[in-house]
Amino acid sequence: MYVCLCKGVTSQTVSDVVAQGASTTKKVAKACGAGSECGRCRRTVQAIIKAALVAPETR
Amino acid sequence: MTYPDTQSLVIASDYRVADPMRVPPLLEKRKSALAEIGAHHVVVHGSTLDPGRVLVSIAVHNREPIVDLLRSRVFFEWFDAVGVEDIPAVFAGELVDRIDLTDTADPGPPGVIVEAMTSVQDVSRLIEHVHVALDRFRAAGIRKTWIFQAFDDPREVMILQEIGDEKSARRWIEHPDATAEWMDNAGMGAYPPLFVGRLLHMMRIDETD
Repeated sequence: MYVCLCKGVTSQTVSDVVAQGASTTKKVAKACGAGSECGRCRRTVQAIIKAALVAPETR
Repeated sequence: MTYPDTQSLVIASDYRVADPMRVPPLLEKRKSALAEIGAHHVVVHGSTLDPGRVLVSIAVHNREPIVDLLRSRVFFEWFDAVGVEDIPAVFAGELVDRIDLTDTADPGPPGVIVEAMTSVQDVSRLIEHVHVALDRFRAAGIRKTWIFQAFDDPREVMILQEIGDEKSARRWIEHPDATAEWMDNAGMGAYPPLFVGRLLHMMRIDETD
C-alpha cells in the first residue's frame, strides 16, 4: 500500500522504520519521509504504529 | 458486470465521504484529467454495511512509474473534491487471477462485492488453494473472484469477490472458507477493514475524453 503519495512511501517502509524504533509520526517522517510534506497520510501512519504496538510478535 | 476485465494497473482506495451519491458526478467532471493519466475505467462501490464508505478503483494504462502517477495533482484534487482530508493508503497492482463461477445462462442481477486489501503468505500458493476450493466457493454463493497483486509488496493483495446476495455475503464474512486467509488481516495497520458493498457507478474513459 502506498501510504504517502507525496513521497511515494509504502506501508512496508513505514512498518520497517516503526520496527526500528520510530514510534511517533514525527519520527516516521524523519526516518523515511512519510507525512513530511502535506501531512495528510499521518492518520494511516498512526494506524501502522498502533498495529505494530498491538502485535509486535508478528514482525 | 461489477468490475471491468482489465490487465492494466489498478489503483484502489477505500475512504469515507459525506455523500456517496456525489461521487459519480464529480468523477464525470474529472474525465479529462483522468484521461490524462491514462485511466480507462473508474469503478465506485458503496458500502452497504458502513454508510458513507466507498471503494474507488481506477484502471490505468501504465504510462508512467506508479510513484509519479500517485504524486500527480489528479489524486490530490480528487480527494479535495470529495472532502477527504486524511488521504487513505492506496493499493496499486495488477490482476493476477480472475475466476468466473457465474452460470452463463442466467448470470442474474449484479451481486454484492466483498473486498479485502491485505498481506498473505504467498500469492501463488493462495491462487492454487483458491482453485482447489472452487466448489466450496460456488456453494457459498460466490460468483466471481478477482485477485490483484501489489507492485510494491509481492505478498500484498486486493481480492474482490462478487457474491449473489447480501445474506450469502454476510455468511461468507462470518464463516469464510479456510482458503480465504486474506480475511484475517483486513483492518490491520494500513489495511482498511473488509468492504461489503454494491456497484454505485462504472465510468469508461476514452482517450479522447
